[in-house]
Amino acid sequence: MRTLLIIVSLLFVALGAGAARAHAFLDHAAPLVGSTMAAAPHEVALWFTQNLEPAFSSVEVTDGSGARVDTGKAAISANTMRIGLKTVGAGTYRVRWHALSVDTHTTEGSFTFHVGGQ
Amino acid sequence: MSDPLVFVRAAHFAATLVVAGSAFFIVFIAEPAFRKAGNDALLRIAIRTQLAWTVWIGLALTVISGAAWLVLTASAMAQQPVAGVFSGGVLWTVLSATTFGNDWLVRSALACLLAGFFAAALSRQRIASRGIQSALLMSAAAFAGSLAWAGHAAGGIAIEATVHPLADVLHLIAAAAWVGALVPLTLLLSAVTPETASLVMARTATLRFSALGIASVATLLVSGLINTWYLAGSVPALIGTDYGRLLLVKIAVFLCMVAVAAFNLLRLTPRIVNIDNAAVALRALRQLRRNAAIEVIAGAIVLAIVGMLGTLPPAIHAAHHHPSYEAVPAGAAFQHIHTEQGMADVTVLPGRVGTAHATIRLWTEDFEPLDAKAVTFTLAPPAPGSNPATRAAAQDSDGAWQVDGIELSQPGNWTVTVDVLLGSAKHLVLEAPIVIEAKQ
Repeated sequence: MRTLLIIVSLLFVALGAGAARAHAFLDHAAPLVGSTMAAAPHEVALWFTQNLEPAFSSVEVTDGSGARVDTGKAAISANTMRIGLKTVGAGTYRVRWHALSVDTHTTEGSFTFHVGGQ
Repeated sequence: MSDPLVFVRAAHFAATLVVAGSAFFIVFIAEPAFRKAGNDALLRIAIRTQLAWTVWIGLALTVISGAAWLVLTASAMAQQPVAGVFSGGVLWTVLSATTFGNDWLVRSALACLLAGFFAAALSRQRIASRGIQSALLMSAAAFAGSLAWAGHAAGGIAIEATVHPLADVLHLIAAAAWVGALVPLTLLLSAVTPETASLVMARTATLRFSALGIASVATLLVSGLINTWYLAGSVPALIGTDYGRLLLVKIAVFLCMVAVAAFNLLRLTPRIVNIDNAAVALRALRQLRRNAAIEVIAGAIVLAIVGMLGTLPPAIHAAHHHPSYEAVPAGAAFQHIHTEQGMADVTVLPGRVGTAHATIRLWTEDFEPLDAKAVTFTLAPPAPGSNPATRAAAQDSDGAWQVDGIELSQPGNWTVTVDVLLGSAKHLVLEAPIVIEAKQ
């Protein structure tokens, strides 16, 4: 028993910093979160920290007035979401995402990117 | 705690472990113990009847709690009230198009297989063939292990996608073999009489359970450490979050169970082995039965904690805290301002016309908190010539900077400016647009 406790203690002391995370959070996006682009992109792509359930995950892109500027349904596979954009001009665009991770947990968030010299 | 999913998860884990544990118990412990005791027909029938009750009640509970878990999860996935999942094909979409749903279909098939193999193995008349016993073991291991895809272990990518579920599968099988099998062991020990055949059976069962227990505890330790690594990741995350602290309570209860098991193994088992002294052996068996019951109760506490843990965000999130990776509060306007000198995450809540509150988190470029002496926050309205509102932010105990009572007069592209005082007259100015919505 004493040996067992010593082993357990040692193993816990050995626990350093891990490198993983759970639940699907936004890892990075293209265009980058908060970035300014000279010309409007043709699509917005989002990479998450976990694989997603396409049936219950979604993304939409709106302009400053709240009107949708994406082309409709997103292509979702593994940990990536991609959605096409209509032809848009200068302005600030908001990307809202809703992700269901394969671990059954839901997360959502939003960010903006800018087109033109704002 | 008011989340019904906590109770449903705990009940499903408990029922699954008891069902799978009973299969391990039948094959590894009860059948060899019957053989050692000379296949006393009456004794075998009495114990098998008890085992059958345990198994059928356990299986019924897995079906009921599994159905409830499916409905609650479908409701959360589709963001609909519970009644809404029965229409519009929601349940079928969850079952056919999600990992969790596919797992539930596989588990339903395994439950049917298990019912058939249990019926054969627990027949009163004959002893189950090796083939039936192997099939029972494999389907029981798959039934317990497949629960790994119903929780946090399912979500990983890259190497985690393989290692974490594998560790969780082993953790669940080992938990079934130890905690789950404790229930039939307690029942078997309750049926022991001073007769020699009965004592021989109890001795064999105890010795075999000890071997199974040692292997299970070792597996639980190693797989538990891997799971802890993936879900907590660091000591600060373990002690600084609800998830981490609950996990520590679970580990503490587990260690108490190991302590009781060690006492059973080192003190009681030698007395039971010596059946020449029937009175001593019987007294030790009664003590063992009481301790096994204590371990079952401790196991139930562990499973209640497991029920809660699955509904909480793992501690690893706090260790990797960065708001632009996280969910932004519903209705908030959020902007991440990124420069080589530093970054700010600005959240304006609510992000629409009216009075709002701003939270500013500052970071160095490698996501370390940025040490600021003072922060001035400015929001400029979209209309040209409007006066921007400039306010000093106050730092909270969490290190974030807060500004209360900001008046947002109109919708559109506002400009947020964060002026960070880094040292004597050294400023970092971060500026970006932020979208404010119209009043609801």
